[in-house]
Amino acid sequence: MGLASVNTASEGMQLCIFDLRRGQQEGQELDKILFFFPADLPFATQLSVIGLSEGLITFTRIFSPDAACEVIEAERHSHVFYEAESDIWMVMVVDKSKESKAACQVDALRKVLKEVHSLFVLFHGTMRSMLEKETSGGLIRSHLYPFITDYLSDFLIGRKLQLPSFHDCLMERGTVQMLTVGREAAIEVQSLVKVLECSAGTTSCYSLVLFQDLLVSTTLSPDDTISLFTYAVLRLTPHALSSGATSWSYLQRTNAGSQVPALSTITNSGSVSDNIYRSRDASLDQENNCQVKRPLHHNRWFRGNDGFLASDIWGTDNGSQTSVTPIVYLQLTEERMYLCAYQHKSLTIILLVPVSSILNGEQGLSLVKQQVLENASLKMLMVEEKLSKGWGGENAYHVSGYRYLLVDDERVSRASPPAKVMTLAKESLLALSKLREEVNLEKKRAKCSSSEVNCDKELEICVRAKNGAWVIARTSRGKELYMVLEKASETLLYAADSVEKFSNRYCSGVFSLD
Amino acid sequence: MSSSDSSSSSASDDPNPKLKPQPLESQFQSSLTLEDSDGVARTDDASVAEQQQEQQDEGSGNGSVDGVVNVEDNGHRDSSDREEGIGSGEARDGDGGSGGGGGVVWRRANSEVELEVEAPASPSSSGYAGGRGSSGASSASRADDASEEDEIEVVGNDDGGAVGAPDSQAEWTPGKRHVDEDDASISWRKRKKHFFILSNSGKPIYSRYGDEHKLAGFSATLQAIISFVENGGDRVKYVKAGMHQVVFLVKGPIYLVCISCTEEPFESLVAQLELVYGQMILILTKSLNRCFEKNPKFDMTPLLGGTDVVFSALIHSFSWNPAAFLHAYACLPLPYATRQAAGAILQDVADSGVLFALLMCKHRVGTSLKVISLVGAQKASLHPDDMLLLGNFIMSSESFRQVTSESFSPICLPRYNPMAFLHAYVHYFDADTYLILLTTRSDAFYHLKDCRIRIETVLLKSNVLSEVQRSTLDGGMRVEDLSVDLQQHTGSTSRVEDKPHTETPERIRESSLVGLGGPAGLWHFLYRSVYLDQYVSSEFSSPINTHRQQKRLYRAYQKLYVSMHSKGIGPHKTQFRRDENYVLLCWVTPDFELYAAFDPLADKALAIKTCNKVCQWVKDVENEIFLLGASPFSW
Repeated sequence: MGLASVNTASEGMQLCIFDLRRGQQEGQELDKILFFFPADLPFATQLSVIGLSEGLITFTRIFSPDAACEVIEAERHSHVFYEAESDIWMVMVVDKSKESKAACQVDALRKVLKEVHSLFVLFHGTMRSMLEKETSGGLIRSHLYPFITDYLSDFLIGRKLQLPSFHDCLMERGTVQMLTVGREAAIEVQSLVKVLECSAGTTSCYSLVLFQDLLVSTTLSPDDTISLFTYAVLRLTPHALSSGATSWSYLQRTNAGSQVPALSTITNSGSVSDNIYRSRDASLDQENNCQVKRPLHHNRWFRGNDGFLASDIWGTDNGSQTSVTPIVYLQLTEERMYLCAYQHKSLTIILLVPVSSILNGEQGLSLVKQQVLENASLKMLMVEEKLSKGWGGENAYHVSGYRYLLVDDERVSRASPPAKVMTLAKESLLALSKLREEVNLEKKRAKCSSSEVNCDKELEICVRAKNGAWVIARTSRGKELYMVLEKASETLLYAADSVEKFSNRYCSGVFSLD
Repeated sequence: MSSSDSSSSSASDDPNPKLKPQPLESQFQSSLTLEDSDGVARTDDASVAEQQQEQQDEGSGNGSVDGVVNVEDNGHRDSSDREEGIGSGEARDGDGGSGGGGGVVWRRANSEVELEVEAPASPSSSGYAGGRGSSGASSASRADDASEEDEIEVVGNDDGGAVGAPDSQAEWTPGKRHVDEDDASISWRKRKKHFFILSNSGKPIYSRYGDEHKLAGFSATLQAIISFVENGGDRVKYVKAGMHQVVFLVKGPIYLVCISCTEEPFESLVAQLELVYGQMILILTKSLNRCFEKNPKFDMTPLLGGTDVVFSALIHSFSWNPAAFLHAYACLPLPYATRQAAGAILQDVADSGVLFALLMCKHRVGTSLKVISLVGAQKASLHPDDMLLLGNFIMSSESFRQVTSESFSPICLPRYNPMAFLHAYVHYFDADTYLILLTTRSDAFYHLKDCRIRIETVLLKSNVLSEVQRSTLDGGMRVEDLSVDLQQHTGSTSRVEDKPHTETPERIRESSLVGLGGPAGLWHFLYRSVYLDQYVSSEFSSPINTHRQQKRLYRAYQKLYVSMHSKGIGPHKTQFRRDENYVLLCWVTPDFELYAAFDPLADKALAIKTCNKVCQWVKDVENEIFLLGASPFSW
């Protein structure tokens, strides 16, 4: 039964991870494969996918030594490549359905690969370090399988994987969405952050403050912020905890109805694959298998009585009966941090405390938590109240007449609410999706051809599509604006004027001409 | 070399063209292998060539559906083929191209390049389309490496500063370069745009750079990629890596691959591969597929021997000839009456059993061929792509280009009938103006010769040829002539109206508020008439006056074209695009498409107004810049 559902689910997609440094001898090719979804595909098929990928990586390096194969586009499939770590490649093979044939969002799919990799690194460290720790590959395989299948289950709608398509061209994966706060609230938040970080008693802790599914404040590096924000929105925020509620964040696409079968599918398939991998990796023993943690496992976080979020994913502490606090890795420093999350109504606060600064594990951490509650709970109440008052609701960032996506420095984005985007005609979305591809190419070209670090492309494209909609892209000073105006009048000047107005009002004039 | 020149130029005087080996086309080289099989070719090739011979004949049979072929022709043609084949055989044996005999024309055109160092003062150094260029053969070939056609990726290469004058295309030398390279050479790997033709067994047929034989291993790799994906029940379209794109096109037993880092969109590159394939069909017809059916290991290279120059000229044209992406042809601007006169006599000829009659000219230095007039027999229509390929074939082949000579050669029009050969009678009236008469009959030489004489008489009498010369000198529409006040222009381009040219500089000054060029910062435009399958392009004006800038503008147009016509969702209606180089405006309607380039600082509202004016201007002068009412074209 489980197997059958996997097959249905994976019809449209294959995902593999392989290490080019492994299995270079004939007969050992299987050793390259670190992950393959669906796992029940015959090895010969798996190897053929990897063989083609590897062949093209080698081939393209003849001409493009610095940037090897990124995508193979065939009539019926797209192969999207991402070199996650040096010589470790992730390749996603997507079936082109009739609908999406016109516009396969290669860049969006690559961002999916990038996202799952950065989440994996957040909880497990780099794949390479894991491979170095345990050279047979058994350890990493046993970790990758449940991790990625848990991640993919978020894309399941019913029994089908809904990967990013042209419908999603007004959103940007791998960015954070910020809450706009008033001056007063900003000062409150600032002082809360100060208090929080002092509570831990060390100077090197970091915090992340979210309101609903939006980021309010961060003291982490941009990359770590994106990973942690992504995780929080997927599993920690109030929406994520009460999986019955519908979220308006693009990260949470699953609805309550689909989650249960999705989960069972994945769990079952997980055990199937475990068997497969176990038969291949004799070294991987039962004990090892039990230690595999599944940070993306659904419905495993809950709010404790003290307001802190807890999960049994990492097991329970033998002495105190409390659940074990997860540890995450920071990308730049590779520092190990305890992840403590506190929630009050819509406010979620994530505090990262260096493992090295806590001497006696969970006991030490509970002291820190206590400290936080004592020093900051009042401030948290106040901040939550202030933010709630200023919060305009789900459609807070809807601008009537416009369907837009605003990306700042490829890290922060704001967009029309998905429900509003859904009102657009398919033609408009297809046109924008195509336009975004063009812009991505121009951006890439600007990056490649310019030796300067700062090579922001200035670009303005306004297209009047066949259906009469205006589809617009602007890039300026590292900011990008994409827009669909369906009800605008016929003239280019009117459309340009609309962009100008929007720019002046919501982008502090970045895209204005004067 | 000069002996071949003299022999070919004397062709017109020859009483018996059947015995005259003058116009050697590669098709004959198939018969050459037949004759020569003990010497040059392998035995299996010979047998295949024999089959091909038959197929070609069958092909002509197919042609009879459309035209007038009688069965005797085949035998007749066969014998002439064979004789000519012997001639070319000599040429091929005379390795190095120094061989005498009248039949070396093909080979000579090619060897001119290969032997450029030894024979710098070749009598035909005027070379390719850019014959008027000041550079002789030797300097042209030296400039070769600097010429951006061979560009190796270098940072900043794309940017202006090119020393080239507007006619810098004259530096381009036809034929294959860098034969010493192969896939192990760094320089080869860094070439910006590779084209490969190979067979489905992985045998190399053509490579733009490098020696095909040395690229056998590389060719096999390409074949492996294609067949690997094919074995999975799929078909590979392209692969991207960094700024590189590898584009694949499978045409039966023929695989075509382009590897490029020119940032041209996939759609453009695949269209270019289609044209390269079409060029091959034009030379050999599609019946070559059967050779592969009979023998998968069939080696096609002998059949295409000497045609490198045709392919490289075609590939070169992809970066400056808008016809290649617009799928339209351009006309030479002429007074309406003049074109009418030319059309009338062509029509006269067409009624007497000529399938197509085309009067063409090379318009200004290095730019594309332009049509003076053309006429087709009843219901026969000529696709713009076929015209591009035919024009390229004729202009790139030295053998056709001998003024006052006449050539008779089998060619195939891939869009018209890919299976059958037609016969082309080609005659140059002067260095730039030539006549092509196409027929399905291989014995029609004398008839066509008579037709040509009739046409020539009429053209001379009605001053068409002198008008043509004047027009090529004067050039076409100039953005500077688009005055802010349109009134004075109605009815004529300034050129045709003999407006004094001294006026132009003043206009430039007037309109130079934003950059140079026309009003509102207009630098250039392309206008494509959808129904006529024709386009008109303005003359390049400042600041688009170097070859590099022109090529960049063409690439930008090409990108815009693809963006507007994107598959599944297109065509879009309008597009405005501003980047650091231009403001581009595009407007697509069921009747026409306008592509205009402005100064990047141009004002939007003014640019739109200017586009409207351009459209009005084109409509006002359309009976001078377009060939109208060519009824066979209404298809």
